[in-house]
Amino acid sequence: MEIPDTYYSKDEYVETASGNKVSRHTVLCGSQNIVLNGKVIVQSGAIIRGDLANVRTGRYCVISKNSVIRPPYKQFSKGIAFFPMHIGDHVYIGEGAVVSAAVIGSFVYIGKNAIIGRRCTLKDCCVIEDGAVLPPETTVSSYMRYTAKGTIEGGQGNPCFVPAAMQDEMVNYTKSFYEHFIRTPAPAS
Amino acid sequence: MSFMQPSPVKYACSCGIVNPINKLFFCRHCPKLRCGYCVSHEVESHFCSNCLENIPSSEARHKKNCCANCFDCPCCHHTLSARATTVPVVRKTEEPKDGESAGAATPPPASSKPSAVPTTKKMYYLSCLSCRWTTRDVGIPDQGVATGTWPDNECLYQARFNTLMEYYQSVVLQEKQEKQEFQRRKAPKAHKFPSLTDRTGLTVSLIRRQIGWSEKNVPKTKPLNITPAEAISELEDLPQDIFTQPINLRNITTVAQRHSQPADQPTAVGNLYPQRRSLWIKRSLRCRQCEHNLIKPEYHPTSIKYRIQLFASYHVPEVVMVRLEHPLEAGQSNAILLKLSNPTMYDMTISILDEKPTEEPQINPDEFQATCKIKEEAVTSSPLMKVAALARQTLTKEVTREVRDVANAKIKLLESEFVLNQRDDSKEFDEEVQAQTEEPNFIVWRKGNKVLLRLQFTPAAELEVNDVVTLGFFMQYTYVNTVSNTAEKKEPTTHTLSSRLFIDAGRIEKGN
Ligand SMILES: [Zn+2]
Ligand SMILES: [Zn+2]
Ligand SMILES: [Zn+2]
Ligand SMILES: [Zn+2]
Repeated sequence: MEIPDTYYSKDEYVETASGNKVSRHTVLCGSQNIVLNGKVIVQSGAIIRGDLANVRTGRYCVISKNSVIRPPYKQFSKGIAFFPMHIGDHVYIGEGAVVSAAVIGSFVYIGKNAIIGRRCTLKDCCVIEDGAVLPPETTVSSYMRYTAKGTIEGGQGNPCFVPAAMQDEMVNYTKSFYEHFIRTPAPAS
Repeated sequence: MSFMQPSPVKYACSCGIVNPINKLFFCRHCPKLRCGYCVSHEVESHFCSNCLENIPSSEARHKKNCCANCFDCPCCHHTLSARATTVPVVRKTEEPKDGESAGAATPPPASSKPSAVPTTKKMYYLSCLSCRWTTRDVGIPDQGVATGTWPDNECLYQARFNTLMEYYQSVVLQEKQEKQEFQRRKAPKAHKFPSLTDRTGLTVSLIRRQIGWSEKNVPKTKPLNITPAEAISELEDLPQDIFTQPINLRNITTVAQRHSQPADQPTAVGNLYPQRRSLWIKRSLRCRQCEHNLIKPEYHPTSIKYRIQLFASYHVPEVVMVRLEHPLEAGQSNAILLKLSNPTMYDMTISILDEKPTEEPQINPDEFQATCKIKEEAVTSSPLMKVAALARQTLTKEVTREVRDVANAKIKLLESEFVLNQRDDSKEFDEEVQAQTEEPNFIVWRKGNKVLLRLQFTPAAELEVNDVVTLGFFMQYTYVNTVSNTAEKKEPTTHTLSSRLFIDAGRIEKGN
């Protein structure tokens, strides 16, 4: 089904030269450490903790409402250290998700209210179901689906869990999400 | 509209199962739609989904389809992570290899010679970051290397299992030899000219025996002798304390935990042992009718590419439901807006029909099967091969079931067919400078390879509030095929194909 248009008001969102649409009602800590690579949508209520370590996203990412992007930490004998987080292109992060992964590949779908534990690795073309909880240091390989029950299913060539054309589907989905995320037209006067 | 929500537009596969387009494949050789149910699934490669290592299939079989380095938690089946600790060790008294037996979890005994220089050494244990189970919980000593060195859990019956395995392997081998012997004797040698030995009634083995040579044949394998299992009639009584001792359920394993450790199926949590992680596979899918690959993934575990990818969305016009014009009402005429896009490099002519168009005669399944058979016969020479070919033939029987017609709305057919322009990626960035041609009035707009179509329909009058309205129709389209079954024709052929579509338009909102 076609994504319906979502309208935002001119006051709520800032549009950058590279096409990023970032809500004013977000908490972007350490914004000098946050790189959004163009056509990225950061919706209201999202938190990006750039103060802990660098956060870098690719093109056409969607960071939905009330989600938290928090660079992962690792404990050492002398204390803890934070590590940068890299997010690929065409990644969708659902509403209320808490993401503390080390690496997120491209064409990844993260469902609503999912919790991605620290230092997880999400490879290209994987799906995290709504409400799934990934324990720290979990690897989800390509074409795998991490279910809300805590199991991993799928694999490339298995059409039941992750679509075989996941790459095309995520490109289409994030692009059309961007194209249908439009500013409310000014009232004709 | 979420990515995970099922698409309301479904296509009927050639086997009769209804699927969204992203679960369908298109065999260009047949040319028909195929789904995961009606294709054969083959293992393309083995890999470990945790360490992402590719494992060749022979090695995978040898390792019993388990990863050599990764372990699963016996408690919650999540992956275990190696954790490092530094422990003081005394080099003089302990060989580094002794780490296996020495309980490194506990500090070294005080009896170690004080003269030796104490140094620290990294030791590893496995820990589950999901349920906090560790190998120390069950008293498995820490290891000196992070991966791979963990000893296998030898179960009580391992020796017995091994002898049984050897026995049955030899039985299979013997049966195979006997079968071959039988076939050799039964099938007379089909030489063009009768050989000398045939005429004289001498066989090679007879001659060999006359000369005094030993039999050329491999000595017949005899199954090993094993002690057969014995049934016992008398069972020991249950221990008395089973009736008196209160059960602590925390120390008893769950059924899932026991099943994940099938060799010994521990009843107490103290006997849980890290389990080697099972391997995953990449699959390639093959059309069962023509045996061509539909998808074939790239070999490497981290690659997301395909070597062959015949997704339906690359060949069949995609139909996307945009919206309805009015809320659904039983018996009230309504219209649905559909976006059609042409994924191919050739223009398509599309018409919407309400019954199945007559099959075009150019693909005759019987003829096609016959040509396949001829090819197979040319390949098969030995009688054994023929059996295999026959077995394969039964596989290629196409099963089709009647598509259940679930449509409950009357479609108003379009007045004419229309053309869906070819896909042109260079046009995507251009401004629309399309010559305005006379369009039929059911086309709302046209942009590149896309068309927005207005289709009028009337939900059945007897529907009640909250009933799902399903539209059903046949979409006929022209498809230019660049591959052909016959070698002589190199020109692309144009087929007229049709797909049956069902669209969940939504639920009836108001009664009448
Ligand atoms: Zn099928
Ligand atoms: Zn592994
Ligand atoms: Zn666990
Ligand atoms: Zn085929």
